[in-house]
Amino acid sequence: MTAQGTQVKDVIIKPDAPSALLLDKHADYIAAYGSKKDDYEYTLSEYLRMSGIYWGLTVMDLMGQLPRMNRQEIVDFIKACQHECGGISASIGHDPHLLYTLSAVQILCLYDSADALDVDKVVEYIKGLQQEDGSFAGDKWGEIDTRFSFCAVATLALLGKMDTINVDKAVEFVLSCMNFDGGFGCRPGSESHAGQIYCCTGFLSLTGQLHQINADLLGWWLCERQLPSGGLNGRPEKLPDVCYSWWVLASLKIIGRIHWIDKAKLRTFILACQDEETGGFADRPGDMVDPFHTLFGIAGLSLLGDEQIKPVNPVLCMPEDVLKRVDVQPDLLS
Amino acid sequence: MAESEEEVDVLVQRVVKDITIAFKRNPNIDEIGVIPCPEARYNRSPIVLVDNKLGVESWCVKFLLPYVHNKLLLYRQRKHWLDREALVDITCTLLLLNPDFTTAWNVRKELLQCGVLNPERDLYLGKLALTKFPKSPETWIHRRWVLQQILRQGHSRKQEQGEAEHAEMSQQLSDHLARTLHQEMKVCCDAACRYPSNYNAWSHRIWVLQHMAMGNIKVFHDELSSMRLWVSMHVSDHSGFHYRQFLLKELITELSQTQASTTITTTATTDSPQHCPNSLHHHGHSQANGELSGAEAGEEARQLSFTTVLQLFHQEMELCSDLIQSFPGHETLWSHRRHVFYLWHHWRKEHQLHCSSNGGSESVSVKDGDPGLQTVSAQSCAGRKCGESLNGQRNASEAMEVDGVSLPDPRDSKRLKRGVLLPDPPTLPSEYSFVSSILDKCCNPEQRRFALAYKKWLDTVIGQQP
Repeated sequence: MTAQGTQVKDVIIKPDAPSALLLDKHADYIAAYGSKKDDYEYTLSEYLRMSGIYWGLTVMDLMGQLPRMNRQEIVDFIKACQHECGGISASIGHDPHLLYTLSAVQILCLYDSADALDVDKVVEYIKGLQQEDGSFAGDKWGEIDTRFSFCAVATLALLGKMDTINVDKAVEFVLSCMNFDGGFGCRPGSESHAGQIYCCTGFLSLTGQLHQINADLLGWWLCERQLPSGGLNGRPEKLPDVCYSWWVLASLKIIGRIHWIDKAKLRTFILACQDEETGGFADRPGDMVDPFHTLFGIAGLSLLGDEQIKPVNPVLCMPEDVLKRVDVQPDLLS
Repeated sequence: MAESEEEVDVLVQRVVKDITIAFKRNPNIDEIGVIPCPEARYNRSPIVLVDNKLGVESWCVKFLLPYVHNKLLLYRQRKHWLDREALVDITCTLLLLNPDFTTAWNVRKELLQCGVLNPERDLYLGKLALTKFPKSPETWIHRRWVLQQILRQGHSRKQEQGEAEHAEMSQQLSDHLARTLHQEMKVCCDAACRYPSNYNAWSHRIWVLQHMAMGNIKVFHDELSSMRLWVSMHVSDHSGFHYRQFLLKELITELSQTQASTTITTTATTDSPQHCPNSLHHHGHSQANGELSGAEAGEEARQLSFTTVLQLFHQEMELCSDLIQSFPGHETLWSHRRHVFYLWHHWRKEHQLHCSSNGGSESVSVKDGDPGLQTVSAQSCAGRKCGESLNGQRNASEAMEVDGVSLPDPRDSKRLKRGVLLPDPPTLPSEYSFVSSILDKCCNPEQRRFALAYKKWLDTVIGQQP
């Protein structure tokens, strides 16, 4: 950025990059997104459809625009995605998985209609995926990842059924994935990664175990993710990205260290990732927008204190008013 | 160009068949790709096979993908019947175009379970998908599942065999596993070259070692040496360096166990760690001393392990210093330095701590300011619990929880006879002077920033520890 020939991987924010929040454009972008079902694009991403709907609806709710979406159609769709085993799939005809089970439950909480599902079966499904060592498999095929530990406890917390699993064992496994830098990876021995750190700090928050984190050490590593452009990356020498900006920022918020980064610069970076014409946010300034980065852009701005957006919860990435309604208040360190 | 539904139907079926034929004609296809080609050329298949490369012309992908996608989903909902052969072909085409389609991999898992597919064939399909999508999480996840099937099969076959057949069978199995392991390392390496700091590729590689080679010092050593050149050519690949840190830590843990186990019996082949029924155990350190006997061999092995640990740390810090000086301004290299120094700091501290806390008569002191005067106790320290804080992990330390550790004295006459010199281990003052030398010489602002951050890290994280 500064000296010539430097290898710092970062972006340069152009002087004419967007610097004001274009809320109306973003709402229009999301509202129109579901309606254009280009065959090819639609099939390419159908394997994560349920999460896609969660991203779109949550960002609409944060912007106070949820009524623009078709509630009945979505609730019916989710019902059709619940399988005999209790798990929920990304779309109709796909196989159930913890990732989409969480997304489905999050969506139904936005609509205050979790009872549209067979909740007991969801709980049984999750319980059945816990392994002896406390970890969680993502589905019946057995892949283990700390992401799935987060999905399991987040879903159960939203359903008020945390006591159905072995929480102590689950905590033990997540802590076994902690690294020397205070961060977490996907399995014991794996590299620290901002996305996994978000899942693990969120997990420890929901299980009331945040004191197990070395907040200063982890906070240090997280702060080192901020680049001269103001954006945050997910690991050393990676490019800044709006979604990592969320994961790092939310983790910092959970461990009470959000004031350790330059908030104004991060805001500038996130705003520069908007597309002034189409609406929506991209991963970096000038790239193609998508609903995923749009949610994390808006949620990040909310955590940074933007008052045009509803306050977002850093652990579950859902509006605080929704969590108040379902009576879920995850711990945060101060 | 095909437009009507029937035309698309005919076209797509032909293309799926062409792909199947291409694989039959050339079993050595090693890469896939999409050929930019917006318009169909009259009467020519969009599947192109040149040398060992399989290409699909881009114009047909937008017909092909939705068609095979919907076919599979209809089958999954029992609205459309597909025979096994068609399922194999359709999932193959589908996954080469969209390898994160989890359900398609699951269909193949079921085909594998009922014997329609064999594990090697699926590892091959995954390998090809990774040539175009080196990060694809679902492809890596499926690989791990397939590898677990191979491990399980091997395990149950072993149990079925009688005593007489057992030895030969074991040999075959371990050869097979060794080949599979080698092939996985190659697949990981290719994917790592195709996409920098490829988290999924490197965490898969770690998984493979944990499940197929735990306790096998030779494999870990070989990995560490073969990675040396790779990381030197990829100095900003944080995941590659993390893999080195993993190897180093496992080797040190393993070698520290050697120090413990060889005091008890020289022929001891310590039991394999849990979760890897078929891992390749060679225990090179025990075999190497086969010609020696009794206490002498035990002592030799202990010294060897201890020297090896020191050498590993020394070489790693040397490599790191070299790279930092040759390629200024890389955060990855400085991060690697932190990790290696942290590992060393704790390894040293734990040996020191446990001995003095057990009232050992000769205390261990690999002194910070005085690398030339290291003395290491030969005192046995039973009941030690080391590793409690190594890496800040609880479970990771379990492997190092060994009793009866005793370290050889580097001044030991036997050592001197063998003429092995202990390398200088890193120390806190030597790290500070490394930082100063960088700050004195280098005007690259990033390099200076990282050097100062490292100094601050030494001050706070290392300096403030008891």
